[in-house]
This record gives sequence, C-alpha cells and structure tokens, in this order.
Amino acid sequence: MSTSDAPQPVKLSLPLEYQQDLFQELRAEDEVVILARGLGLMRIITNLLHSYDAAGNNLIVVVGAEDRENGWIGEALAEHAAISAAAKARGLTVVNTDFQSVGAREKMYAVGGIFSITSRILVVDLLTGLLAPESITGLVVLHADRVIATSLEAFILRVYRQKNKAGFLKAFSDNPDPFTIGFSPLSAMLRNLFLKKASLWPRFQVTVARSLEGRKKAEVIELEVPMTDHMKEMQTAIMECVEVSIHELKKGNTGLEMEDWNLDSALLKNFDTMVRRQLEPNWHRVSWKTRQIVNDLTVLRGLLNSILTYDAVSFLQHLDTIHAAHSPPPGSTRQNQSPWLFLDAAQTIFDTARRRVYAARPTKKISEESNIDALEPVLEELPKWAQLAEVLEEIDRDLYFDPVPRDDSNGTILIMCSSHDTCRQLRDYLQHMHIKPKKGNSNPEEAEDMGDEDKPSATFIMRRKLRNYLRWKSQFAQVSQTLFAENQQALRGAADTRPSRGGKPPNKRRRVRGGGNVGAMMGRADNGSIQQYFEKPGEVADLMAEVQITEEEAQQKPDIVADPLDNMDDYYQLFEMQDLVVVHAYDGDQDEHVLEEIKPRYIIMYEPDAAFIRRVEVYRSSHNDRNVRVYFMYYGGSVEEQRYLSTVRREKDAFTKVIKERATMSVVMTVDSHGAEDPQEAFLRTVNTRIAGGGRLAATAEPPRVVVDVREFRSSLPSLLHGRSIVIVPCMLTVGDYILSPNICVERKSVNDLISSFKDGRLYNQAETMFQHYKSPMLLIEFDQNKSFTLEPFADLSGSISSVNPGNVSNDLQSKIVLLTLAFPKLRIIWSSSPYQTAEIFESLKAQEPEPDPITAVRAGLEKDQSAEDQAFNQEPQEMLGIVPGVTPQNIKNIVLETENIREVANMSEKELEPLVGQTAGRKIHGFFNRNVMEEADD
Amino acid sequence: QALAKPSGGSSILVSPRQRGNPVLTALKSIPWEYSDIPADYVLGLTTCALFLSLKYHRLHPEYIYTRIRNLQGKYNLRIVLTMVDIPNHEDPLRELSKTSLVNGVTLLLCWSAAEAARYLELYKAYENAAFTAIKGQQASTYADRLTDFVTVPRSLNKSDAIALVANFGSLRNAINAEQEALGMISGWGGTKVKRWVTAVEEPFRVKK
Repeated sequence: MSTSDAPQPVKLSLPLEYQQDLFQELRAEDEVVILARGLGLMRIITNLLHSYDAAGNNLIVVVGAEDRENGWIGEALAEHAAISAAAKARGLTVVNTDFQSVGAREKMYAVGGIFSITSRILVVDLLTGLLAPESITGLVVLHADRVIATSLEAFILRVYRQKNKAGFLKAFSDNPDPFTIGFSPLSAMLRNLFLKKASLWPRFQVTVARSLEGRKKAEVIELEVPMTDHMKEMQTAIMECVEVSIHELKKGNTGLEMEDWNLDSALLKNFDTMVRRQLEPNWHRVSWKTRQIVNDLTVLRGLLNSILTYDAVSFLQHLDTIHAAHSPPPGSTRQNQSPWLFLDAAQTIFDTARRRVYAARPTKKISEESNIDALEPVLEELPKWAQLAEVLEEIDRDLYFDPVPRDDSNGTILIMCSSHDTCRQLRDYLQHMHIKPKKGNSNPEEAEDMGDEDKPSATFIMRRKLRNYLRWKSQFAQVSQTLFAENQQALRGAADTRPSRGGKPPNKRRRVRGGGNVGAMMGRADNGSIQQYFEKPGEVADLMAEVQITEEEAQQKPDIVADPLDNMDDYYQLFEMQDLVVVHAYDGDQDEHVLEEIKPRYIIMYEPDAAFIRRVEVYRSSHNDRNVRVYFMYYGGSVEEQRYLSTVRREKDAFTKVIKERATMSVVMTVDSHGAEDPQEAFLRTVNTRIAGGGRLAATAEPPRVVVDVREFRSSLPSLLHGRSIVIVPCMLTVGDYILSPNICVERKSVNDLISSFKDGRLYNQAETMFQHYKSPMLLIEFDQNKSFTLEPFADLSGSISSVNPGNVSNDLQSKIVLLTLAFPKLRIIWSSSPYQTAEIFESLKAQEPEPDPITAVRAGLEKDQSAEDQAFNQEPQEMLGIVPGVTPQNIKNIVLETENIREVANMSEKELEPLVGQTAGRKIHGFFNRNVMEEADD
Repeated sequence: QALAKPSGGSSILVSPRQRGNPVLTALKSIPWEYSDIPADYVLGLTTCALFLSLKYHRLHPEYIYTRIRNLQGKYNLRIVLTMVDIPNHEDPLRELSKTSLVNGVTLLLCWSAAEAARYLELYKAYENAAFTAIKGQQASTYADRLTDFVTVPRSLNKSDAIALVANFGSLRNAINAEQEALGMISGWGGTKVKRWVTAVEEPFRVKK
C-alpha cells in the first residue's frame, strides 16, 4: 500500500487497485468523483478523511452527509484511528441540530478536527463568522449530484471559496443520473462545485473491471422463479389500470410532452416523479382530476410491487385499506373518483386477491342454505418461498458433503431482501416452514397431501395470518363505518336497509347479495364504482373454523410482536456462526459492513439489486481466501425483473453520456465572480447621486445589508441575494422573513405556502404582527423558477351572482387575496416570477433606504423578558397540534410552553389540560385523542 | 365627489376612460355604471382600482404615475390592477413593485380580462364581508381532522391515517405505540414509522 505522500504513514483499508488509484488522485488534487453505486464510495471517503484526521491540526467540514453516513464515518474514523494508532486523530464531530448552542459551537470549531455539519447550520455559521471560512482546511462534499445552482450547498461553497482560496475541496457522488439532465450538465455542475476536474469510475472502467474480474470471481447462480397464475392475472390487471390512468392523463393535459408516458416507462422506479416533474410547472393549475390520477399512479405502482413482496393475506388486507381510503366523499359523483376503480380490471384485482386467500367450497350437495356461503381457505404461497427452501436444502446438502470450511468465511448463509417487511416475512417463514398443522376434520382427499410430510410449506403462518386478517376485517368494517358513515349512507340506496336473513339485527355495512356465486362477484356502488366487500358472519365463522388452531400450532410459542429485550440474560447465548441464517434488508452502503462482519459463504439475493451485486464483487475481490456463492432470485416476466434490468441500463447510459461530455467539454473556469467586491461599485455607493455633484454626504460606504430569518435558509433566495453582493445577516426573527430596511419587512410565500397559510389563518396573524412593528410590511408572492407565472384558474368564471356571494367564500386563491387586501389596505404585494427576480426587486426596493439594524429586527415581536433563543420551535409537531380541535392560535402557546411533545398532550387527562386551555377546549382535545373508533362501533 | 354615496350602492362605478376595455364585457355578475371619477373603477366606499396593461405601460411609462397622482391619496385601498400581457414582464414589474411602496398603492396581477373582471367583482361583493375565511378554518368531521393530523409528517398519506386507527383504535394508542407494532401495519415501511415516531416525540421547543 503506497501512501508515500501522506503526511504521516497511516494504515488504509483499500485493498483493490482502483481504490488505491482513486485515493492517490484525491490526495493530489481537487475534483469531483462519480463512482458507480456499490463500488465502495464511503470506504474511500473515510480513508481519505482518516488520512487528514491522522495528521491532526486541521479543520475539515463534511457537507451534505445524511444521518447514517455520519454514523458510518464516525465509526470508521474511530476504527482507523485505533488501527493506525494515530495519536492526533480526533474523530468526527456531528453538528446537526440547534442543540449545540452558539457558544458551544464556537468552542468546538476552535479546537478543530473533522466536522459534519447540517447545511442550514453551516451556512449560518459561515455567514455570521462563527466558523471563519479562512480557518477551514478543506471541504468534503457528499452527494455532489444534489448541488444545483440555487441549493444551499452551492451557497456554502461560494461563501467558502470567496474567502478561502487555499483550502481543498473534494466532492463525491454515486449517482451519475443528474449529471446527464439538461444542457451541458457536467460543466454546469462543476461550476456550481467550483471544481475543474471530474473523475469518473463506472463499473466498466478498465481498472475497476480488472480489479473485480480477476481470478477471484464470485460464483453466481441465477434462479428465475415463475409467478403464479393469480399473480400474473393481477399484474396484468394493474397494468391495465395504469394504462388507462395514463390515457386519462394524456386526455386531460394536452400540450405536454408525453411520448414516453407509456407502459414500459411506467415500470421504472421514478415514473410518478417523472410525471409529477412534467406537470410541475403547471401543478397548481392542473385540474383536480389530474392530481387524483397522478396519486392513483403512485398507488397502483405500489400495488405492483406489493404483489411480489406481500403474501396473499397481507396483500388483501393492504388492498382493503387502500380501497377504504379511496372511497368517495359524500355526495360525490362519478367525476371526482379515481377512474381506475371503475374498470373491470379493478374488479379482477380485488377478486383475484380474494381468491388467493379463500374460495367457495366445492360443495357436493347444494341443499342447506348455510352451505351456500361456505368458504374454504386457499392460502396461496409466494413461489419464491418454496424456491428459497429448496436453495437452503441444497446448501445443507453441500455443507453435509463438504463440512470443513475451506476458507476464511464463516459458512453463514446470508439472505438479502428489499425491505424490513420482507425480512420479517422470511424469518417467519423459515421458522415455521416445517410445521404442518394437521387438519382436525381431515378429509380423505387431503390425506394424500400429507404424504410428503417434510416438504416445507407456509401453511402454518398463512393460517395464522388469515385468522388475524378475519379478526382485523370485522374490526375494520366497524372502523370504516364510523369514519365514513355519512359517505356510505349517501352512497347506498334504500335497498340495502332490508333486513338480512336469519332474523339477526342487520349490520348496516353489509350488502345483501343474491346467494350462489360466493366470493366471486364484487359489488358495485350506485355510481358504478367498486364497493368494498365484507364477508358475512356465516362465511367468517366457517373460515375461522377451517383455520382453527390445531394442536401443533398451539404448541408453538406465541408470535412475539415487540421483543422487549427484558430478560436478555436468560436467553442470551452465542450461536456458532456456522449455523446461522441471517436475513437482512438492502441498506445502501451499510451492506458492506454486513458482508464484512458476517463473512457469508452463501448469499441468497431474494430480490435483485444491482448495487449489491457489485458489493459482493468488491467483497470477493478484496479477500483472497473467502469463497462466496450467490443465488440470485427474481420473478420471471415481472416488474421486478424489468426494473432491475432498466436500472442497470440507465446507469451505464448515464456514465457513457457524462464521459462523452467530459471529452468535449471546454475548460471550466472557476474564477468566482463575486470574489472581491467590485471597487467601482463600492465607490459608486459612496456617492449620493441625489445631491448635485455627487457630494459624499449622507451615503455610506457600507455594503447593502438584509436581515434574514434563519428558517428562510431552506429557500434559495438568501443565496441569490448573496450572489448580488448583498450582506446577509442571519437572525432568529419573530416577525417577517426578510428585513430590508428599518421600515420594510417582507413575508415570503411561495404559492403553495400561500394556499396553506390562508387555510390555517397563519398569514392573517403574520400580517397583523408585521403592522405592529413595521411601517411598510410587504407580502412577497414568489413563483417557482420553472413554474408558470400565473395563479390557478378561477373555479367559476361563469359570472353568476352566487359565485361572488360573500356568504360562500369560495376556495380559490384570488378571493382570499382580495379579502387580505381588504383587511390590510396598507399591505403591499410583491409579485415575483422567480427567486432571481425577487433578488433584483429587493435590491431596488432598498436602494434609497437606510440599512436595517439586526438587533432591532430580532427584538421585534418579542416580549420584554424573552430572548430570541426561547422562540426556537419545531415546526412539525406544532403544525400537528394546530389541527387538533380545541387548539386555537391563542392557546397553542400555553400548550407548547407547558408540555414536552405530542405524546404528552395525547396522554393528558381533561383535568390536566384544563389549566392550560380551559374546560371546553380541554375536553375537545382529550376527546380527539381518545376517541376509539373500534369501541364506538360495537355500541 | 367619488366618496359620495354611489347611486346604486351595489354597482361598480366605471370611469368613461375605460370604454372599450374588454374587462367591461367580462363584468357580468355585478352591475356597473359609468360615472365621473378620478379612478378607473370604484369598488366600494374606500376602495378604488386603476387598470394597467403592461403592453400600454411599456409604451407610456409615465401614464400610471399621473393617474396615481390624480387620486390624491383618496380612498383607503388603492389597487393597481395590472394585466400581464407581455412575455418579458420582469423589468416593469420590478419597477411597479417599487412604485407601490413609494406611492402607497397595492399591486394585483391578472393574466386575462376575465380574471381582471373577477377581481373587480370580488372586491365589490366582499365590500362588507367578514374576514373569517382567511382567519383559518379547520375541517369539521373527525375523519377529516384525523387525516389532516396524521398527514402532517412528510410521506404519510390518507391510507396510512386510516390504517393507523384501524389498527390501534384511537389516536392515543397510535401515538403510544411501539415502533415494532407500527411496522406491522400493512403499507408502513421503515421511513413512515420513523417519521411518525419522530413527529410525536419531537419536542415542541428546541432544546439547548
């Protein structure tokens, strides 16, 4: 390992050739590295950071790291430091909340070391000088693909480069896609990053390929698992729904670029985001129906995935919930419902899903009425389960014949799947696959099944699931009844109130159907949409009897839902690594750790994942003495397969494109335009043109200044203002978002903000407080750069008198703006088509005004004894609290000051709430949290 | 004078200058009549509006200033109803923003004659309206409130809200639920569980 030019010999953990090459390159110069996913980006970053950390005496900032990456870097740095016994290494300090006070942060920065700082805090600290840009040794930017011109990270880099020309700057990304969108994207990105060089490492790069495709290749066995007919049927039906939805979208939105909106692209992972992005410029103007369909597409695509991952019963349950949530609002017509619910295909989905779980019993004699409703469980299993069992058996045999591990690996079997849900499902399956519940009323026909006793099956867990499902379903019926009582009444005609057979009190929820074709027909509501199906008590009883707990099942330990880890000591013991089967979910870079720690001999990829394959390759190539055999499972002809293939293709295409652009790209000059202030500009400011001859009387040489609320740093406006060489003073403001001058205070609202703040009355209150403290409050309505510069169309332009009747203030935005201006005639409105324009407008507004005073701005709106820091609230829980009935803008302060969080409020009794909000409100709040829809329904 | 009781009381007064403006043909749901007034439209006792087309403004930039001056600060709410009918609107709009601050007029943008007419109608109709509509309204039924409450954290949707109460019965139970139990709900992946738990546990006030 050559680390010759490192300031101090450090031990690195980069065994492969391409990793070492990359590391040397990074030590030598500033560049952006785009590495194909799965090739160990984090490992290179941690090694690099360690090489600086070990040298000590520096201040390095990691920008854009997520929580888990922070965890990873922290751990890795500590580990490295221990291995190479670097005395000077100080590890990672994470600054990610406002928990650390200003003073504490300042001290930490003074000490130095490696910091990972949340962008919002970092930019504020850089601007306030808490962390002087000059003192930084270097920046490491993760997720470089997210650094777009208006982003916070770009702002950080600009502030840094403006003051600090010597420090290093290295950017990393494992996602080449964003570097291919738009006009000469790579050079644009480099400009944002203030870098000149891009270093690309796709999987097909020569060094990478050589490192991974040596003698030590991993052995891969591909297993194509066929889907069952039911699954295929449902997949086709859902695809049909998707197709119709796309068609509806096209119909409703002519003039959009939609050639590539077809079924094939609908399979892609980001289809709905793609559609959304296309509609984005007009999102606030598209019709209600279009939005509905876009949402439907997300739901349908989710379903496509669930077919493959959920077991039959869970899928049905999921479908029930989705259906309930999509049930139409009261008094609705066909027009405002999800169109796919009207299709025959939708019926197929619901029917087939049910038929996978239970079906009508093939009755020999149709005589008694009770028998007509008889159902029996079908409980289709997922095909991959059987395949998995088979593979495990094969491995077992393998181990039996060749018991001595030939190498360093543990002989553990690692099963990788896509989500924790699947993990749980597989664990469950593996645990119970050899338990066969003997049927109590064993039929002679079933006896032949019992022949192959040891064949693994999921009957046990499926039966348990069905029991839970039936229990859940009866509860769910009641819940959805209480929740949507009025809807159902509006929907169902008088016919449904007929008493049911058997003289039992009629359950309002149940439809009365003709006997006969049990479980086959789906009801349709009066308006043609699909009605939710609820089993009759007779059917439920039957099914329940079928899946009654048998002796064998009863012997099993009850299913532990939440493992409290209470008596760890009693149960704790070490297992031989040899015997372990580990089920794990794909977790990005974390998977490398899993491989290193478990050292598996066999890996079963339950679902395909391109990045993981590479990780296995890297793992295999990094260790001479470890053999790995990989089983790779996928459903043939399924969405899963297609999606996998297309991601691989897309990545390759993206890299090819970027490489091409790099070859033809002109040199990117990173001379920062706002480095030093233009001396001419500085001079002109000292001259007051209003005084003839340009006397230097009142004007100052002070650069223009804007006080900005720290919360506003989420938007791009502060960055753009800074770009126009205006000094940004970040402060915690109670009133207004931007203070342009002692008189001018601006509240910024994007169109969506505007709608929501009208809805909850926030804007009205904000306007009131602004008028208490400033002479000229202004409301800035800011449209997005890429969105159209218009408001949504009026709901009703027909011109009938009722449409303007003050009694029914309609929901359109314009009428609310009218009310706002009537309420505050002195409130000025700024209309801006983009943040860029806003920056210009601000500049011209404050041209002749004196500069604002940050201290006065912070004091505005505060009580005498309050300090600004007390005002730091978390937005989200407060917003939730605001929705609770009984909570008003007046009493919300009391609650927030006196209680800790939502959970505490929810657990308070009426008595405890009373002193805070009064009796009535207290009862309302208590009632909201404690209303139990299940119990109510029983009454 | 303009402040005198308008003849109809319920009609919009229009200056004869506006003759031929397509806005007038779109003005349908409220009666209007010509009257000799300094503003273009009088929309109530204390409200008046000037109409400005950006196309015209580009040719005669001084026009609007004369008109604003002629209002002589009468009327409490002075609106400049600006029709955006040119593509490169940035410069005139920046200038008008400045004007609105200096001269004390309120800028409203519209993009078509119909929209302009609608604004005028709304001002007249809301002349005496209460402001309850913008003081904050909340959903009334339990189901709606519930959905609103649960969907505040990002990535939680309506189906999740219903699944939540369908599994736990009450919100209180759902709020007190263990992460494991939340994960058992169909459709609730790791992200959703995490977001929900953070939202209910996150302190209202930032700790120091």
